Amino acid sequence: MNNPSPGPETAADQWSAFQRVWTETLAKMMQAGFTTPDAAPPEFVRQLRTGIFQALAQSWDQFLRSPQFLEGMKQWMDSAVAFREMSNEFLTRARQASHLPGQDDIENVLNAVGKAEARLLERIETLAVQVKAMEQRLADRDAGAAAPAAKPKDARRRVRRAPS
Amino acid sequence: MKSSNGNGNDGMGAWAKWPEALIDESFAHARRWARLPFLYQRAQRIRKGATPSRVVYEEDRVKLLHYPAPDGPRFATPLVFVFALVNRPYILDLKADRSVVGHFVRRGFDTYLVDWGIPTDTDRRLTLNDHINGYLARAIDFVRQRAGSPKVSILGYCMGGTMSAIFTALHPERVKNLILLAAGIDFATREGLLNLWTRPEYFDVDRFVDAFGNCPAGFLQASFLLLKPVQNLIEKPIAFFERLDDDDAMDDFLTMETWLNDNIPVPGEVYREFVKSLYQQNLLIQNRLTLGDRTVDLRQITCPVLNIMARNDDLVPCAQSLTFNDAVGSPDRKAIVLPAGHIGLAVGGRAQREVWPQACDWLAERS
Repeated sequence: MNNPSPGPETAADQWSAFQRVWTETLAKMMQAGFTTPDAAPPEFVRQLRTGIFQALAQSWDQFLRSPQFLEGMKQWMDSAVAFREMSNEFLTRARQASHLPGQDDIENVLNAVGKAEARLLERIETLAVQVKAMEQRLADRDAGAAAPAAKPKDARRRVRRAPS
Repeated sequence: MKSSNGNGNDGMGAWAKWPEALIDESFAHARRWARLPFLYQRAQRIRKGATPSRVVYEEDRVKLLHYPAPDGPRFATPLVFVFALVNRPYILDLKADRSVVGHFVRRGFDTYLVDWGIPTDTDRRLTLNDHINGYLARAIDFVRQRAGSPKVSILGYCMGGTMSAIFTALHPERVKNLILLAAGIDFATREGLLNLWTRPEYFDVDRFVDAFGNCPAGFLQASFLLLKPVQNLIEKPIAFFERLDDDDAMDDFLTMETWLNDNIPVPGEVYREFVKSLYQQNLLIQNRLTLGDRTVDLRQITCPVLNIMARNDDLVPCAQSLTFNDAVGSPDRKAIVLPAGHIGLAVGGRAQREVWPQACDWLAERS
C-alpha cells in the first residue's frame, strides 16, 4: 500500500493483481460452500460474508489505485469541468440577454467591494498609526510640561524644610 | 472436506440447524421491516451537539461557541477547538457519551469551539490566510481577552489540525499547548488515495475551482465515499438493516449518518491552496508554505505538542502526521497512535475510554 501509483507500463501487473484477488475471492466462496460449517448457521453466513467483503474491498482498493481508474477519473473530471464551464457561459449569456445580473456582474461587484474594503482598511490603519503617534507626542509633551513644574515644588519643599 | 468440528458437533448437525435459523432470521427481518416506517421520524429527532454551549463571538459566517465548565474553569489556560472546513464541527460533540468536547468540559477546561459556518458563493475568494491570520487569529484574541489569559491551548482536528499547526507556527506567542488530531502535515506519502487522486497529472485544481467556485459538498462527499466503496456502499447498509431492531445502535447510526451527510462546500481559494500547496507541492513540512507575506516555519512551534493519530485512517494516513513531531522545535512532544479510523479517533468507544482521558491529563499538567 505504500507504493506510489504504478505507471502505465505496469497495467498488465495491475490487471493480473486484480484478477488474482478475484480468484481468491471466488476460491473463498467455493471453500465456504464445500466446507461443513463449524459455527451456527447465521454466524457462519456472517463469517462467509465478511471474508467475501474483505476480498472485495482489497480488490477495489487496488483498482482505485490503478492507472486505468486514475485515467478514467481524469477524463470524467475534465468532462464535468467542461460541462460546468459551458453551463456557466450559457447562463451568463442568458442573463445578460434578459438584462439580469450574471455571475460575472456579481464577481465584479464583489471585487469592487473587496477593493473598497481593502482601501478603507489601509486608510484606517494609516489613521490609527497617525493617531497613535499624536497621542504619543501629546503624552511626551504633557510629561515634559509636568517635569519642569515638579522641580520648583521640590525646591520649595527643600527650601521650606531647611529653616525648620 | 471436514466432517466434524472442535465443539464435537458433526457436520450434519450444523447443517440441520439451517431450517431453524432460516425461520428465526425471517422473523427478525419482519421485525426490522416493521420498524422502517418510523425511521424518518427518529432521524428528525437527532440532536446536533450534546454539551450546552452559547455563541460568544461572531464574524461573518464564523461563530465561536463557549462551553462553560459546570463548576467553573479549573485551569488558567482556555482551550480552543479548531475543526476542518469540510464538515460541521459537531462530530466533536456528537452525543453525551461520545463527546470529545464533553471530556474537557467535565474536566474543568474553559472550552471554546470555532464553527466556520457554511460558506456561500461570496466566500469563494477567501484564502487560507483569511481564515488563519484573519478569522482564527481574531477569535483566539477574543478568547485570550475574555479569559484574561495571554495564551490559549488549541486542539485541531483533521484540516483544522493543519490550520492549527500553521497558526501556532505563525503566532507562537499566543499558543500554550497544541493538540493535533489526525492532522495532515507531510503530504509526501502515497499511502492515502486522496494523495494519489490529487496528483497534478490527474487533477487540475485551478480549472476545477475556476469553473465551480467553491468546492461542492457533493463532490467531497463522493470522494470520501469512494475511499472505501465496499464498506460505505455495501457493508454499511447491510449492517444498518441488521441493527434496525436495536434502538441504541440505531441512535448511534443515525447520529453518525446525520453528520456524515452534513457536508458543506469548501471556499474555492482555500481548496485550491490546500490541494496545490499541500497535497501537490507538500510545502508545509518543508517550511516553504507562504501565508500572506509570511513563511510558515514549523520550527517556530516550541510549545508542548500532543499528536494523536489513527492507524487505520483512510483520509489522513498516519504517515501524513507522524513526521510533525520531528519537524517542530518543541522539546515537549508526544505521539499517540490508536488502532482506529479517522472518525473513530474522535467518537469511537476505545478513543473515548483511552485516548481522551489521557489527553485531558496531558493538557491538565500543562494548563
